Amino acid sequence: MTTPLLETRRLSIRFGGLVAVNGVDLRLAAGEVLIIIGPNGAGKSTLFNMISGIYRPSSGTVHLNGHDITGRPAHRIAAAGIARTFQSSRLFNDLTLVDNVVIGMHTRTRTGVIDALLRPRRARAELDAAAERAGALIRLVSADLYERRHALAGTLPQADRRRLEIARALASDPKVILLDEPSSGMDERDTDALIKDIHTVMAERPGLSFIIIEHDMRLVAALPERVMVIDYGEKIAEGHFSEVRLLPRVQEAYLGQKAAHA
Amino acid sequence: MMHQPPVIPASSGRGPVADLSIVAAVELGGAVVLGVFLLADDPRIIVALLGLMGAGFALLQFRPAIEERIVAAFRAARRAAMILGAAVVLVYPFLMQGSSYALHLLIIAQLYSVLALALNFQLGSANIPNFATGASYGIGAYTSALLAINFGVSFWLTLPAAALVATFFGFALGFPSMRTRETYLALVTIAFAIVIHQLLNNFSWTGGPNGLVGVPAPVLFGHSFADPIELFGRRLPSQANFYYLSAALVALAIISARRLHDSRIGLAWNALRGDELAARCQGINVVWYKILAFAVDAFLAAFAGSVYASYVSYISPDNFTFLVSVTIMTMVIVGGMDNTLGVILGAFLLTMLPEKLRIFADYRLLFVSVIVILFLILRPQGLFPQRPRSYGGRE
Repeated sequence: MTTPLLETRRLSIRFGGLVAVNGVDLRLAAGEVLIIIGPNGAGKSTLFNMISGIYRPSSGTVHLNGHDITGRPAHRIAAAGIARTFQSSRLFNDLTLVDNVVIGMHTRTRTGVIDALLRPRRARAELDAAAERAGALIRLVSADLYERRHALAGTLPQADRRRLEIARALASDPKVILLDEPSSGMDERDTDALIKDIHTVMAERPGLSFIIIEHDMRLVAALPERVMVIDYGEKIAEGHFSEVRLLPRVQEAYLGQKAAHA
Repeated sequence: MMHQPPVIPASSGRGPVADLSIVAAVELGGAVVLGVFLLADDPRIIVALLGLMGAGFALLQFRPAIEERIVAAFRAARRAAMILGAAVVLVYPFLMQGSSYALHLLIIAQLYSVLALALNFQLGSANIPNFATGASYGIGAYTSALLAINFGVSFWLTLPAAALVATFFGFALGFPSMRTRETYLALVTIAFAIVIHQLLNNFSWTGGPNGLVGVPAPVLFGHSFADPIELFGRRLPSQANFYYLSAALVALAIISARRLHDSRIGLAWNALRGDELAARCQGINVVWYKILAFAVDAFLAAFAGSVYASYVSYISPDNFTFLVSVTIMTMVIVGGMDNTLGVILGAFLLTMLPEKLRIFADYRLLFVSVIVILFLILRPQGLFPQRPRSYGGRE
C-alpha cells in the first residue's frame, strides 16, 4: 500500500477534562477530496487546528508524505504544504486583495532583511512577480474578484471573503487545502456560486487534495466524495455520502435519537 | 514636512506639468510654512500657522480627492519630488538667518523623526506596543559616548558600535517579550525602559545621575563639527554640521523604512498586525518577525542616540526616561501609523509645538495636548494614514 499524502493516527486532544477529539484516524491520498461532517461542537475545527499546527495534539500523530509533523509550529506546517481557511474568515482586512494573496506566498518567496535593504531591486522584482501571480490566482477563483484586486479586503462581502481566503490558501502551492465550513454564513445562491468556484479550482489543480468541513448538506451532496462523520470527537462513520447518511448512528447524531428511530 | 494643500481642483490638470507643479507647490509650501513657524516669535503668527495647518488637514479630510491627486502627483513625479526635497533640505540652513535656535529645533525634530520611524516598524507595521524606544536611544547614546570618552574612538566608528549594542539589547528585550502579548507585552517594554533608566542612574561607570560630560564632536576630513561652516562666503552656526548629519540619518531611516515596507518583510509585519493566527498559517514565523522588529527599532534608535550625544556633548539618564518613549509613540500615532511621511510630520509637530508655545509658560503642555487631541479628532487615522501598496507599473 502506498503512503497516503496526509495521515493522522489516533489523533486526540484534551482540554482539561474535556476530550475534544478522540483517536481520529484519517487518510488522504494525493488529489483526493474528503468531506468532514458532524454536528456543532463535534470537534471538526479542532481536528483542523491540530493538523495545521495551531493546537498541539495530546496524543496521536500527523504525517505528511510520510514525515511526522505532529506538534510542529503552524508556520512550519504551512511551509510543508498544508494551507487552510477559517470558519470565520480571517483575512488581513486593512490590506488589499493582492497583498493578502502575496502574504499567502510567504513560504515561496525568499527576500530577507539584508536583501530588502541592500538589494531593493531584487526584492521589488520578487514582490512584483508575486503580485502578478496573486492576480492570476484571484482570477482563477473568481473573475469578479480580480476586478477589485486593489480594494481593501475588509470591504468584501462574506462570499467574496471566502473566495479570497481560498485564493490565499492556493498561493502557497500547497499539497493539501483544509477548508473550514466554506459556506458558513452564506445564503443558497452564494453557496451555489461557491460550489461552482470550488469545482473550478479542483479542475484546475487535479493533484491538490482537499479536506472540507461542511454543514450544508446540499454542498456535501454536490461534492460526490468520501465523507467522514465526526460526533463527540470521534469518527463514527466514513464512506460515500449516499451510504453514510443512511447509517443509524449518523442519523442519531444529526437528528437526535428519537427522530432517527421514529 | 509641513504640508499645505495647493488650491487645485482635483479633477483638473493631468500630465507631467501638472504633476510637477503640484509637487513643487506642496514641497515649497511646506518648507515656507515650516520656516515661518520656526522663525516666528509672535504668538499670533504661530497660532495663525497652526490654524492654517488645521484648515489644510480639514480640507484633505473632507475632500479626499485632493489628497488622492497629490499622492498621484508624487507617484508620477517621484524623481523630481526627491531631487527638489533634497535641495530644500540642503539649502534650508542658509535660510534660517543664522538662527542657531531654529537649527537646534530642526536637529532635534530630525532625531525624533528617526526615532519615530524606528518605532513605526513595530507600532505601525506590526502593531507591537514598544515603550522602550527611548531606552534604545539611551543605550545608543551612552555606548557612543563611553567609547568616545574612555577610548577615544572616532564618532564614525562608535555609530555602528552603538547600533550593534542596542540591537543586541533589542534582541534581549524581544525574546522574553515573545512569551507575552498586547497589554502584557507593553508592560514588559515599560519595565525594560525603566530598568535601563535606573541602571544608567545607578552605575558609576555611566556617571550616575550626573551623566557623561565632554562627548567629543565628530570630525570629518579635518573639519570638526563644533566649528561653524563657511561656505560660499556665508557662515553657518556649528549646529549646521549636525543638521546635515541628522538629515542624512533621516534619509537613511526613510530609505530603510521604504525598502522594508515594500518588501516581503513589511508584508509579513502587516500580516501579524492584522491577524496573528492567520499570519502563522501563511507560514510566517511570527516570533522571528516580532524580534526582528525589535532589533530594527533598536538599531535605528541607537543611531539617533549617538548623534544626539555628540551633538549636545553632555548626556544624563534624564534624557532617556520612559516619557521619551511615550512621546515617540505619540508622534507615530498622531502622524499616521505605517506612513513614513506622516510619522516624520508627527515628530516635527510634537518636537516644535512645546518649544514654540513657550509663550504660554506653565500652560504650554496643556496647549500641546489640546492641539494634539484636535488633530486626532480631525484626522483619526493620523495626519497621513497608511496607504495601500502599489505593484509594478500600477498608478
